[in-house]
Amino acid sequence: MKINAFTREGLRRRISQSTMLVILIVVVAIVATIVNPKFLRITNIINIFQQISVLGIVSCGVGMLLVSGHIDISVGAQVSLLGIIVAGIIQHVGGISADAPNGWLQLLAIPTAFVVSFIVGFLMGLINGITVIKSRVTSFIITLGFASVYKGIALLVSGGASYMLFGRFEWLGRGRILNVIPIPILFFLGIVLLTHIVLKFMRYGRFLYAIGGNRKAAYVSGINTDGIIMRAYVVVGLLNALAALILISRVGSALATTGEAYALDALASVIVGGVAITGGKGNALSFFLGVVLIGLLGNALIIMNVNPYVRDVVIGSIIIIAVTVSHLTGESS
Amino acid sequence: MQNANILEAVKISKSYPGVKALDEVDFDLRYGEVQALVGQNGAGKSTFIEIIAGSIQPDSGRITLGGTMHTHLDPSKSIELGIQTVHQENQLVEELSVAENIYLYNLPKTRLGFVKLATCIEAADVLLGELGIDISSEKKLNELTPVQKKLISIAKAFSRKAKILILDEPTAALDTRGKNILYDIVRRYTKKGLSVVYISHHLGEIFEICDRVTIFKDGRRITTHKVTETDMNVIVQEMIGRSSTSLITREMVQGVDLEEPVLEVRDYHRQGVVDHVSFSVRQGEIFGIGGLVGAGRTELARMIFGLDEKESGNLVYKNREITPSDPTDAIKKGIGLLTEDRKENGLVIIRPVFENISLVRFAKSRRAFMKLQRERSETEAISKQLNVKTPTIAQLVINLSGGNQQKVVLAKWLFAEAQILIFDEPTVGIDVGSKGEIYGLMDQLARSGKIIIMISSDNPELISVCDRVGVMRFGRFVAVLEGEEKTEENILKFSMGVAEKDRI
Repeated sequence: MKINAFTREGLRRRISQSTMLVILIVVVAIVATIVNPKFLRITNIINIFQQISVLGIVSCGVGMLLVSGHIDISVGAQVSLLGIIVAGIIQHVGGISADAPNGWLQLLAIPTAFVVSFIVGFLMGLINGITVIKSRVTSFIITLGFASVYKGIALLVSGGASYMLFGRFEWLGRGRILNVIPIPILFFLGIVLLTHIVLKFMRYGRFLYAIGGNRKAAYVSGINTDGIIMRAYVVVGLLNALAALILISRVGSALATTGEAYALDALASVIVGGVAITGGKGNALSFFLGVVLIGLLGNALIIMNVNPYVRDVVIGSIIIIAVTVSHLTGESS
Repeated sequence: MQNANILEAVKISKSYPGVKALDEVDFDLRYGEVQALVGQNGAGKSTFIEIIAGSIQPDSGRITLGGTMHTHLDPSKSIELGIQTVHQENQLVEELSVAENIYLYNLPKTRLGFVKLATCIEAADVLLGELGIDISSEKKLNELTPVQKKLISIAKAFSRKAKILILDEPTAALDTRGKNILYDIVRRYTKKGLSVVYISHHLGEIFEICDRVTIFKDGRRITTHKVTETDMNVIVQEMIGRSSTSLITREMVQGVDLEEPVLEVRDYHRQGVVDHVSFSVRQGEIFGIGGLVGAGRTELARMIFGLDEKESGNLVYKNREITPSDPTDAIKKGIGLLTEDRKENGLVIIRPVFENISLVRFAKSRRAFMKLQRERSETEAISKQLNVKTPTIAQLVINLSGGNQQKVVLAKWLFAEAQILIFDEPTVGIDVGSKGEIYGLMDQLARSGKIIIMISSDNPELISVCDRVGVMRFGRFVAVLEGEEKTEENILKFSMGVAEKDRI
C-alpha cells in the first residue's frame, strides 16, 4: 500500500465517521417524524436536548476515560447514589415538605447537597481509579464490581424508598434562560467544550490518547500513566456529581435506580461516536454526536409509541454492533 | 539401515516480505544420529525446524520422511509421522499436574468424559522412570523448578512415538545434572534408532553429544561436518563467512580526550539476568554491546533506563551520579531508550507522527497547555532533518515503513534533548537504505557530543558502527573488544563461550 493513499484514506475515514453519525441522526429523525409528526416540533427538540444533557455530561467523562483505554461501568450506579445523597440532603436538611420549611436550614440545604455530591463523586472516582491501577485487573471487571457496591449503598441509604424534593430545587434541571433554553443544555454544551479543550489543547488530553494508544510506550516516554488514568476516573466521578444534581433537579425525586441506565447509554454513546474500545481514538465532537444519536433514538422510540422495553434491546445491540464494526475495521488497517 | 536417511529435505525455500529466510536448503538426517544445527541469529535455523514441525509452510521444496515424499507438512501430520519438537520456551500448563501435562493431547477418559487421573499418573510414572527423570508425576507444574519443567517438556515429547526429536536450545534452562539426564536419554534412544536435530548456541555441547553438525548462514546451508573431523574455530569461521571484511569501520572523532570516560555504568546487577556489569563510554564514541539473544543485553538497557528493577548499579555522567529511578526520572536526566520492539514499547502507532515525536518533550514539560502551532513546526523540522519519509507529519505512524518508524522514535528522543541514547537493535526489520541513514545519524550524534550505546545481534553492524564492542554472555560482560581485536569472529567466540578469557 502506498503511503500517499493513506492520508486521504485516513482523512476520508475521519470525515465519514462524523458524517455517518449525522446521517444516522437524520434518518432516525425522519423515521420518527413520519410515524409521529410531533417529533420535529421545536418543543420536542428542546425537550430531547434537555433530556440528553445528563447523558451528555456523563458521556464526556466516560469518553475521556475510554480514550485512555479504560472503562467505568459503574457510572450508572454512581449517578444513582449521588442522586440519593443530593435528594436526601435536600429533604432532610430542608425539611420534609415545602410548606413547612426549617427556616435558615433550607438556605443551606442546596449548597450542602452540591458540596457533598462533588466530594462523594470525587471519592468514588478516586477509589475506582486506585483500584483499577493497583489491581492491574481489566477496568471493566473492577468497575462492574463497584457498580454493585454503589448500587447496594444507594439501596441501603434510601431503604429502597424514594426521596421527594417537592419542587424545592428546580432551577438547575428545569430552569430556562430567557424562558427558552434549558439550563441543562448549557451545562452539556459547556462540558463538551471543556472536553474538547482538554483533549485537543492540553498536555493531559494528549497523554490520554498516548496511554490509550500504547500504554507501555507512553510509560517509556516518561508519562506518569497511573496518575493520568487515576485523574480520568476522578473526572468521571466529578462529572457524575454534576449530572446527578441536574438529573435530580429535573426529575424532582430520587430512587436508588434513577441513574442506572446511564452506564450502558454512556458507553453506547461514546462507542457509537467512534471511540475505540481499546482507546487512543475519539474526540469531543464524536462524543457529542454519539450522545445525540442515542438520546434521539430513545426519544424516537417513545414518541413512536414503541414498547419501552425495546429500548434496552436497541441500546445493547448498538453497543455490540458498534464495537464489532470498529474492531473489524481497526484490525484490517 | 544405519546410514539410511529418515529425513531428507530438498531445496526448501521460504521468503518473507523483504527477507529470504531459507534459500534452497538441502538437509538430511540419518537414522539414529544426533545432528547439530548452528548459525548466527537470523541464519534460518528456526524457520527450518518450524517447516519440519509443520507449523510453517515452505514456498518450495520437498521433504521425504521415512521414504514418503511431502511438499509440505502441517503440525498434526508431523506429529503423526513421529516428529516431536521441544521448544525453547516450555509449552506447559502451570496449573495442571505433571502427568496431565504429559498426556494433555490425549488424556485417558472414562465413558462419561471424566479424566482417568490414576491411569494417567501411572503411565506418566512409567514414562518418567524409563527416561530416568526422578519427578513425581502427581506434582503440579508450578511446584517444579525451571530445570524440572524443561525435563517434563522433554518427557512429553517421548510420550508419543517419536522418530525424530527436535531440541531447540534444550540446555538453556538446564543445569549440569539436567544436562546429563538429557544426554543420557539422547544416547540411549538414538541407539534404538531415534534421530535428533540439536540446535544450540553452545558449541561445546555439539562436540559432547552430536555426530554431525550443519552450519546455516543467511538462509543457506553452508556445509555439514562430522564432529570428529572439525573444530570450533572452523565452525565459527563458517558461521561468519568471508564477507565481513568489506565493511567500513567508523573513524574516530579527532580532538577529544579518548581516555576520559564520560559515562560510567557501574556494577549493574540482577540475580540471574545481569551479572555485575560495568563499562564506560568515552566522549564521541559509539559503544556497542553484542552477544546472543538472551544474554541479558536488553535487560541491562532497561535497567540503566530505570524501566526494570535492579539489585545494584549506578550511572555516572560527567562525574555526576544520575542513576534514574524510573523512566520519568531517566528522561529528566537526559537519557533516552530506543527499545528493541518499536511497536510494543516505542511508538503509539495509531497516533500521528507529530504526536509521537513530541511525546517525551511534553512528558518533561510542566505546562498544562500545548502550543500546537509551535509543536507542528518544530516536529516538522526535526522530521525533515532526520529525513522521515511521510507525506505529512499528521500521518499515522502505523502507515510508515519500519525504517521511518525507527526515525520517528529517534526524533522523539532528540526532540526531548536526550544526551545519552541507548539503541536496542535499532536496525531489526529495516531496509538497507534506512539502515545506512540510521548509522549516519548515530555517527553525527556521537560527533555532536551525545553518548551512544548500541545493542545489536548483527555482528558486522557492531563492528562497522561502533568504536568498541562489549560482549555479553549469561548476563556477564566477558570482553570489551577494540582495534584489531574488534572482529566478527571474536564477538561470536566470546558470545558463545568459545574464547573464555576475561578481560574486565
